[in-house]
Amino acid sequence: MTRARLIAAAPLLVLLAVPLAVSSSYLLHLLILVLLWIVLGQAWNLIGGYTGQISYGHAAFFGVGAYTTALIYQATGSAAMAWWGLLAGGITAALLAIVIGWICFRLRGPYFGLSVLALAEVLRLVATNWKDLTNGAEGILFIPAFTSKAAYFYIIAAILLATVATMRAVVGSRLGYYFLAIREDQDAAESLGIDTTKYKMISLMISAFLTGVGGAFYTNYFGYIDPGIVFNLQNISILMILIAILGGVATIWGPVVGATLYILIAEGFRVFIGAGHLVFFGALIIVIVIFFPNGIVGAINDRRAARARSSAPGTGTPGTEAAA
Amino acid sequence: MTMARRTRRGWMETQARRGARLVPAALGLALVMAAATPALAQFKVGIPLPLTGAEAKFGEMEKQAYELAVEEINAKGGVKDQKLVLDIQDSGGRPEVATSIVEKFLTGNKYPIVVGEYTSQCSYAVAAVAERYQRPYLVVTGSADKITQQGWKYVYRLNPPASLYNLGVWSFFKAVAKPTSLAILYENTDFGTSTSQAMKLWAEANGITVKAYEGYQAGAVDFKPTLQRIKSLRPDVVYMVSYLMDASLLMRQSKELDLNPRLFVGGAAGFTLPEFLQNAAEASEYVMSGTLWTPQVKYPGARAFFDRFRQKFGKEPDYHAAEAYAAAYVLADTLKRAKSWSPEDIRDALAKTDMMTVFGPVKFISWDKFTNQNRLDTLVLQVIRKQFETVWPKEGASAPYVFPVPRWRDRK
Amino acid sequence: MSPELAGQIELLLQVVIAGILIGGLYSVIGLGMSLIMGVMRIINLAHGELMMVAMYITYFAFTMYAVDPYVSLLVVLPAMFALGALLQRFLINRVMYTDSILPQNQVLLTVGIGMVLSNLALVAFSANYRSVPVSYAGATLYWDIALGGQTIALSFNVPLLVAFGIAVVLTAGLFLLLMRTDVGRMIRATAQDRDAATLMGVNTKRVTVITFGLGSALVGAAGTLLVPIYYLFPTIGAPFTAKAFIITVLGGLGNTAGAILGGLVLGLAESLGSAYISLGYKDAFGFVMFVLVLIFLPKGLLGKSKV
Repeated sequence: MTRARLIAAAPLLVLLAVPLAVSSSYLLHLLILVLLWIVLGQAWNLIGGYTGQISYGHAAFFGVGAYTTALIYQATGSAAMAWWGLLAGGITAALLAIVIGWICFRLRGPYFGLSVLALAEVLRLVATNWKDLTNGAEGILFIPAFTSKAAYFYIIAAILLATVATMRAVVGSRLGYYFLAIREDQDAAESLGIDTTKYKMISLMISAFLTGVGGAFYTNYFGYIDPGIVFNLQNISILMILIAILGGVATIWGPVVGATLYILIAEGFRVFIGAGHLVFFGALIIVIVIFFPNGIVGAINDRRAARARSSAPGTGTPGTEAAA
Repeated sequence: MTMARRTRRGWMETQARRGARLVPAALGLALVMAAATPALAQFKVGIPLPLTGAEAKFGEMEKQAYELAVEEINAKGGVKDQKLVLDIQDSGGRPEVATSIVEKFLTGNKYPIVVGEYTSQCSYAVAAVAERYQRPYLVVTGSADKITQQGWKYVYRLNPPASLYNLGVWSFFKAVAKPTSLAILYENTDFGTSTSQAMKLWAEANGITVKAYEGYQAGAVDFKPTLQRIKSLRPDVVYMVSYLMDASLLMRQSKELDLNPRLFVGGAAGFTLPEFLQNAAEASEYVMSGTLWTPQVKYPGARAFFDRFRQKFGKEPDYHAAEAYAAAYVLADTLKRAKSWSPEDIRDALAKTDMMTVFGPVKFISWDKFTNQNRLDTLVLQVIRKQFETVWPKEGASAPYVFPVPRWRDRK
Repeated sequence: MSPELAGQIELLLQVVIAGILIGGLYSVIGLGMSLIMGVMRIINLAHGELMMVAMYITYFAFTMYAVDPYVSLLVVLPAMFALGALLQRFLINRVMYTDSILPQNQVLLTVGIGMVLSNLALVAFSANYRSVPVSYAGATLYWDIALGGQTIALSFNVPLLVAFGIAVVLTAGLFLLLMRTDVGRMIRATAQDRDAATLMGVNTKRVTVITFGLGSALVGAAGTLLVPIYYLFPTIGAPFTAKAFIITVLGGLGNTAGAILGGLVLGLAESLGSAYISLGYKDAFGFVMFVLVLIFLPKGLLGKSKV
């Protein structure tokens, strides 16, 4: 029991120690980005990987969280107050999820995802054109509250731990089983008496909340947002999906792998080669989707499950994995 | 449908073990990368620029201008006998990448000063970072007013703010054109919005009716519906603020629709690039634009710079190149005067700059809400017989202006 | 008639003309995706990038061999067919029949393909905008109508007219292919019910390869037709992919006539919207229509989808 506890606590200790051990501000910056993307990947995973509702427009929630925070700054003039955006942004995003879910959940499969994409784009256009509220394309800028990166690192680490704890709690609870049932066969789940719309909505709301928190953190960290950045299809919506898929859908560690890989590739290429990291990333996606359809962590899980099955008596048919 | 059975404890254990192996590996790789920063032997200056993306053309031109200037400076002995070396990195026109780059410049490479960036957005974001780290930053092209309206102590701007880009145009309007109405079409970007906003305010303050004020998303294929609507409003003058491709399309489509105001005026940027003449072809004729610089200005070395740039790179420089070229010289001058090359001493020397460049006089002063801002007059150019000619103010003009412009169908 | 009224009539007519002409081009873009979605049920998020590839082929044909864009259609059509067929055969087909947690891996595969295509182009050709300055790019036909003492001056952009004409030809060709040939029958059968088609002896894997090839050729043609009046750069694709699936949904999946209508409707919506409501929200009109149609008219505007 103690050994297992120690091993489980290892990542936590590593996280605590990092800002003390790492003096390079640039490196801390990269690690902060990795942690932020892990949070976002987890958030998408909940509605996408576990509940099977693939959303191509999560930037809507990210952007709403980001702008809520920026608007708090504009209203109060204080960067410190803008940290309330973490809560306010998350809640606003969750509220938006109710609206988007109400509109889009009657659609199945890819049509759900595309309609969320369409709504995210509409939000982007609104943010660009409603200059009185959002300052339009000029964006909102302020000096972030802290100068040292360590403070941000601890904040995002805390957000990450809270996210992972939430994910594990949700996925391990009855909610988690309902989500999986909906993912596997929505009609069967409905016929078994599961109120699929209600549970899809819950899943989306939690996912949106976490995404909104991510957006709020982004604003507080970078100190500058505009509609093109935070409502961005390629750099937010699609990237969230890719990080979750790459690492492994419906796994807790999947987004960790996905986010780390992405930031490494992006910065590595930019520093050493100058351009072209997305070619590599795109090719990696192709390879992963073809050869490891459940992502890297998913593939590891599948292999372990196969090994466990082949050694245990009375093996069942290869099927879907539960929470892993 | 069989679900593999796992005990909660066993799962946690395996997850933790797996995860614990990944994180140190990732950290190790990252540390190796960060360690690969070279030591400083000469004076290196970091310059973020958009070398890819929508503004790549401008980024490329500025890069070439910086390189030309540095080549000349080093040929004459460099700065305090050290070579001036440029570290130009591609921000792709994205502010978050620009800030990433500058973070690395200031904390990783430890450059004492940052110069450059092209778009207002990126310049603004970079300025905030520089101010936070208390390192001097010389803005070269980013024109949104607010960049030097924050009371920042480390941010200095060589180019005029967007609201003053049109000084030359306004003087022409007052003296000659005297328009009664205006239609404004602008790109929904930082630059487009601030420049067109300034024009709108000026027009309203001077009794000119603003009949249309339309922002658009860059990259549209067909502007005709909007241009037709503007045509139905019959404005005296049509004013547009765009980057290159939209500027060309707007003019071509205006010609197709036979939209005939008495004058077309562009708000610099896309309207002053040589490629505008090629892409818009006959539709570019007689288009006026506010500009910050033309090869005909009387500042010493301007014409020579123009010729040398054209000879070396095979294309004509516009005001963006002149800005970059001048910035490099301002930097060299600052470095020569600085007591030491610490950020504070460089900043102090930069603040005391008072020199003449091919772009014009450079002296950082404060007025109204602006701080550390250079103040320059702007000019008006017009495309006449497929060439950019300076037409206003009259004293520096290379050709007489054409106003009102002939109707499309009456042209040759 | 007062000049103001004449101006308003001219505005309305010109805007409608603009909407229809650009709509024709949009139709060709949507046609390819509608076919692919109808037959394979996958959303090809690399659609716009395929168009980009075709545009670069056209560009290089012009700058290196002085081939006129319309002539280069003869090269672009087969080349894009080949590219699409290869992508389907070696990449997408492998994913369509495998078991994975999320059935949408196919779509994500196309995202990866699109990413590779656009970034390869970025690296190879730089992000510079390129244009093909053909002499007739600005050619315009004028039609002055005398009405009530005023003149209504209408203008028609020639390259767009030609594009519209070619779009009609391509659509007719596709229609003939689908209705009158064996290949077309196989495609329609696979679209209706893949398993039944397999049981009837149709090699559905081959059909998907041909379909993706056809879809790519069509969007490639649209790209070539767009070159004279627009410009190109590596990331030009994304907004057109969005337009493609808006059109597909408007028209009903797999419904070729519907795709034509969808294109025209989108073109008109953008045109009327930007002239009368707001230019800044031009792209939003398409998206809003998309969501509304999905919810209220799931079988498309014509009420007939092949799915």
